[in-house]
Amino acid sequence: MSMPEASIAKLLTQPTSGERARQRTNRVMRVLVGVAAFLAILPLVALILFVLLKAVPFLVPSFFFNNPLDQEPGILNAIVGSLQLSGLTVLISGPIGIAGGVYLSEFASPRVVAIGETAIDVMLGVPSIVAGVVAYLILVPVLGFSGWAAVAALSILTLPIMMRSTQEVLRLVPQAIREASLALGVPVWKTALYVSVRTALPGILTGVILAFSRALGETAPLLMTARGTNAENWLDFSTTMNAMPIVIYQYSNAASDLLIGQAWATALILMVIALTINVLVRGRTVNSRTA
Amino acid sequence: MAAEKHKAENTTAGAKDELAQASARPAAQAAQRASASEGDGGRLTLENVSARYGTFRAVKDVTLAVRPKSVTALIGPSGCGKSTLIRTINRMHETLPGATVSGSIALDGVDLYSSDVDPVRARRVVGMVFQKPNPFPTMSISENVSSGLRLTGGASKSEIAGIVEDSLRRAALWDEVKDKLNQPGTSLSGGQQQRLCIARTIAVKPRVVLMDEPCSALDPVATLKIEELIRDLAAEYTIVIVTHNMQQASRVSDETAFFSMDDDRAGYLVETGPTAEMFTNPKQALTEGYIQGRFG
Repeated sequence: MSMPEASIAKLLTQPTSGERARQRTNRVMRVLVGVAAFLAILPLVALILFVLLKAVPFLVPSFFFNNPLDQEPGILNAIVGSLQLSGLTVLISGPIGIAGGVYLSEFASPRVVAIGETAIDVMLGVPSIVAGVVAYLILVPVLGFSGWAAVAALSILTLPIMMRSTQEVLRLVPQAIREASLALGVPVWKTALYVSVRTALPGILTGVILAFSRALGETAPLLMTARGTNAENWLDFSTTMNAMPIVIYQYSNAASDLLIGQAWATALILMVIALTINVLVRGRTVNSRTA
Repeated sequence: MAAEKHKAENTTAGAKDELAQASARPAAQAAQRASASEGDGGRLTLENVSARYGTFRAVKDVTLAVRPKSVTALIGPSGCGKSTLIRTINRMHETLPGATVSGSIALDGVDLYSSDVDPVRARRVVGMVFQKPNPFPTMSISENVSSGLRLTGGASKSEIAGIVEDSLRRAALWDEVKDKLNQPGTSLSGGQQQRLCIARTIAVKPRVVLMDEPCSALDPVATLKIEELIRDLAAEYTIVIVTHNMQQASRVSDETAFFSMDDDRAGYLVETGPTAEMFTNPKQALTEGYIQGRFG
């Protein structure tokens, strides 16, 4: 009777040669993957450090609160311009994108959904320079270099993002919740609005914020549309506007240490804004999951 | 006061009137309700009902009469179409892509599938409680109960508080939640959530309440509470319940309908009768075999 116990103990504690080889491979692979992960993070850390070091000396009050032609030049008009352009972009493409996502998720037939999803994929794949060139060749001749042309180009880029994110979060709403509403005799459109969309609202708003962040960082379409200006422009979308990516692009070619430094500083601000938005969005998603 | 009024309306208004007046205004509705005859309401007559998912026929030629204000249990092995059948009664089946229904289902003589009955209206008259408790996650306990009324415009703001209390009392949940009506519906236990869903269903004043295995996600204590509740509700509503639990069918139902599956996997009605008779002296050998646990 003691024989089987002894052999079980042996079975459990004495590794075979095959198992030893497996454990060796395990260790080697773990080291390799660790090195790869380190190599991937290295440039990111280097980039952040580099931007920080170059930017910090130029982060003075006048940088934030003055315009480029002031005695002590700053980029106030670019900060204001970026926020206005991205804000209006989200205001225009948000409602359309959300409505489109709701339509695809709640109302469309499977065939229309397939067509719509393909269209979104194509739109998501449009490079920003293509949106820029379309706005430049079609809208700029009519509207001139202007905020409107920039907003149009940016909207082409953010629209599919918002449609996709809305559709995705609505897909996470359990079918049982919709059925509960329908079974109470609630019409389909009210079920979509007051039950499905209401339940997915935090996720839908997250999509809006991410689209805003995307619009904020776009450069190519802005160079071809809003073009940049030294003047402060509040809400006049019919003329040129300055924006942070434009400042970075133009100043980094400048023959002035001050302007090159300000290009670094502007880059830092864009990074900080993007990071803040990401952290906020992450906080939201975690909250809505635990709630 | 509001609670009593709710009750009074519930017993006087006939399902027939409710279905027939497609676009009557609330005032006219109330007047019509007041003049409706007493004790009218809730007889279901299914004739040759078949339900399909695309080309697959899940339910075949079911003919069944359900007495008003009684509990009818649908039993039978898995996959025999009980849930599909119950979902044809409130026209939920057709909300799935490719799903169709043929035959007729009449409530007090009005065919729920006739062209002048709006499925949305049919669902207000025929309520449904689902297998898993499904309270609205963004709504409080009280908002969950009033959701149907608010979203269908079935009651004025001043009436709603009374109807919420009355519905929760009828669902035997009031004493447990009266101090936390503003907390989320999802904060309740599973059994409480299911009673919340029952309260939500009866708040819109249906004539018929369908229950699709309402206790299968609940523990025995919660199950017992729901079963007592079903008996109480039978005084006012026609109840059709799908259950896998034969003891449950024998405990709660007045009539039992036994379903089975054909070779082509289509569910059909084997026999129906008073529950006591079905469990002691079934006519069909198939029913006897199932009830005694020989298959299923």
